[in-house]
Amino acid sequence: MLAYIARRLLYLIPTLFGVAVLVFVLFSVAGEDPVRILLGDHASPEAIALQQAKWGLDKPLLAQFGDFLVQIVTFDYGNSYASGEPLSKMFSDGAVVSLSLTLPPFLMSLCINILLAMLIAYYRNSWFDRFATAIAVMAMSVSYLVYIISLQYLLAFKLDLFPVTAAGATDWSFGSSHYYFVLPWLIMVLAAMGPDVRIYRTVFLDEIDADYVRTARAKGASERTVLFKHVLKNALIPIITYTVVAIPFLVLGAFLMERFFGLPGVGDLLIKSINNGDYPVLKGLTMYIAVGYSLFNLLSDILYAFVDPRVKLD
Amino acid sequence: MVFNYYRTAAHKSLDPAAQFDSASGELIDNLYDKLIDYHYLKRPYELVPGLLTKMPTLSADQLTYTFELRQGVHFIDDPCFKDGKGREVVADDIVYMLKRHADAKINTQSYPAIFSGFVKGLDEFRVKTKELGAKMNYDEHDVEGIKKTGKYTVDVTLTKPNPLAIFPFASSTMAVYPREAVEKYGEGFARHPVGTGPFKMHKYDRQGVMILRRNEKYQGTYPTEGAPGDKEKGLLADAGKKIPFLDEVRIPLIEEDQPRVLEFRLGRIDWIGLDRETVAEMATRDEKGFHLNPEYADQFDMYSEATTSTEFWRINMRDELIGGNTPEKKALRQAIAYALDIPGYIMKMRNGRGVKLDTLVPTGFSGAQDRIGFEGYSTNLEMAKQKLVEAGYPEGKGLPPIAVEFRSPTSRIRQEYEYHRYQLDKVGIKLKGNFQTFTAWLRKTEAGNYQISAAGWSADYPDPENFYQLFYGPNKTPGPNNGLYVNEKYDALFDKMRFMKPSPERNGIIKEMAGILKDEVPVLVLQQPVVLGVYHKWVGNLKRNMMHNPPFRYLKVDPEVKKAQLPKLKR
Repeated sequence: MLAYIARRLLYLIPTLFGVAVLVFVLFSVAGEDPVRILLGDHASPEAIALQQAKWGLDKPLLAQFGDFLVQIVTFDYGNSYASGEPLSKMFSDGAVVSLSLTLPPFLMSLCINILLAMLIAYYRNSWFDRFATAIAVMAMSVSYLVYIISLQYLLAFKLDLFPVTAAGATDWSFGSSHYYFVLPWLIMVLAAMGPDVRIYRTVFLDEIDADYVRTARAKGASERTVLFKHVLKNALIPIITYTVVAIPFLVLGAFLMERFFGLPGVGDLLIKSINNGDYPVLKGLTMYIAVGYSLFNLLSDILYAFVDPRVKLD
Repeated sequence: MVFNYYRTAAHKSLDPAAQFDSASGELIDNLYDKLIDYHYLKRPYELVPGLLTKMPTLSADQLTYTFELRQGVHFIDDPCFKDGKGREVVADDIVYMLKRHADAKINTQSYPAIFSGFVKGLDEFRVKTKELGAKMNYDEHDVEGIKKTGKYTVDVTLTKPNPLAIFPFASSTMAVYPREAVEKYGEGFARHPVGTGPFKMHKYDRQGVMILRRNEKYQGTYPTEGAPGDKEKGLLADAGKKIPFLDEVRIPLIEEDQPRVLEFRLGRIDWIGLDRETVAEMATRDEKGFHLNPEYADQFDMYSEATTSTEFWRINMRDELIGGNTPEKKALRQAIAYALDIPGYIMKMRNGRGVKLDTLVPTGFSGAQDRIGFEGYSTNLEMAKQKLVEAGYPEGKGLPPIAVEFRSPTSRIRQEYEYHRYQLDKVGIKLKGNFQTFTAWLRKTEAGNYQISAAGWSADYPDPENFYQLFYGPNKTPGPNNGLYVNEKYDALFDKMRFMKPSPERNGIIKEMAGILKDEVPVLVLQQPVVLGVYHKWVGNLKRNMMHNPPFRYLKVDPEVKKAQLPKLKR
């Protein structure tokens, strides 16, 4: 297995180089001009030249790409164009908020939706299955924005059950301002229910009529044992694929949530960076996601081997 | 007293010299002081001394301003000072601020935009900062036009007599700060403000909540005079009292409209500006102006204030179809001007939040339409049709669609374009809207690759010169005259007017220039936007000042009124 992991890690080098080329071409060659976004219209040629020099954009493209590769290797993406702050601090501050926002509902959704999907699959073709499936389809058809706007208005403004925004929060360390996260968590769990339950139900339906399930029942295994020991374990393989690769994106937060609830996370930072042409932030975040996605892909492959003995990593 | 406000965008830098965006300026205005400032209440906007004992005096040859600092003004306490105690502001601080403002390594935006060429020797100093880079030592390079003449006095000599040169001193980019803070914090100075302003930074969280606390050392007082009607509105009740009244200002970043409005309606934000949708819900405009709808009138108060900017459509005078000086081309542009329905556009597309402009200059400025007695175009479809005949396109026959370039693809911009497209279609003029990103729009307009460009201008200072320079021949691309309009008579009048003080004679010249622009139509003036806001009844002394925003130093909160009013807020 170690050889497999080492080999996969080596594959990362050409993959990341390809991503770096793509990111550089997208942002630095074909993208918007960050200097003009900053300076606006009627900027003098002197001002443009000075700002380009300040950000190193007056160098030849190849030299700029070289600088970018050095940044990737050293994990130091410099400072934001928009604020001049070091990106390492912006990322770490924002990641704490984003993870506080996304991790709890991610875990809650995982548990609730797997159990719910298993239950619906167990009662397949019954009125309960049809009703639940119809609700799930309806729920996933509703825009995420509608969940946010309506529940913020109803639960926070009309009923005053939660704060409208995190305007009162001054401490973002883990667990400090959880009061401001409860409504966003609730919305995220509700919004994820429709699509997740639909996918997991399909996965369970593939397993629930399999031969090994019939054999287990024939051997007198209880329904609980059949469901939780046999069906769940086998259904976990596609679920692992679906969920593990989503983990690196948790750090990116949920930009709509962050904007509507005033949460200073990475998602909102990313959108603002796109609008402002803040390429150091965009490049840094894209590379982070590329590395995270590759590593968590590897992790999901390794997890297969633990869940399914038939899978051999060599 | 705590005041709850909000930000809609994160600022770029709190280093005065390194910023030129409104989000940064709003914070800097409350953390720092400038040498001069705008009067809070008076209109038209009037300059008053800030850190100075009196307004700068001008020498007989109109070239040298003398700035005299008030004595006993101290910076806030900060570890950058010896013993952590803020020292007194002295003339050296002005000299340092002016030099640093010209430093090309630091100031890439505001210096070239508003101060370049004004002070003798300062442009040369800027070149040196560029050449020497990090090796530049300000003490080793004097500026001919900047002289410390005493512990509290500095003379600034201009390159030529120029009444406009005083305005940049009231800009947040020329706020005064101590050299010690710059040297101690380096780049971190952008996040660690050390000023003399009414507030000091208590908590810095660029993406979250910024908290300002009262600067106990602040010596300012509330204005004793105001504009007509201010006294009746209670805006002079605190005349002469020590400011600020607020102990703390909390400013979270809330970018979306809905949460901001909901927080306001719950009483957790004290004052908000109104967006288009909220105006439609909360307010109505009639012949007397805006007023709150009855269900909100007992909860909130409202203001409306014209901005210091102008929206217009600029015409590319080099375009083969619509540019040029032949009578036919001119007639085509005049046809468009007659066909546009600006009052309808303001009422229907902007909820009435605008003022129809007859000249480029926003109302309230010297040289504006009401001061010079000038009338621009009004909707006249018959005249538009006649002009189309003169242009050789009767009823629009044979006239290809005219492209209008927009700098943003938002639905609001598209809707507003649709209104104009529909109006012009009535006389047979077809429009084609191109909606693109800002930099794509810039590339097109600066390259002269357009027919009409939707543009605007926000005043750098409240003077008509700042608007008429947009069509001054020598200012053509890369200057702000990117429509490449050239008219020798206009340029000569501009040269004559630009360095004159406001006077009837100057207004006469301005009227003549407005007439030239009306006749030749290198620009279709649309409107002056109006901003609306609502605030709770417990907020005192609020008067929207477009040059002084937000005016936390003058505001107050009445806790008794707040206590009584909070239960009345309707959910």
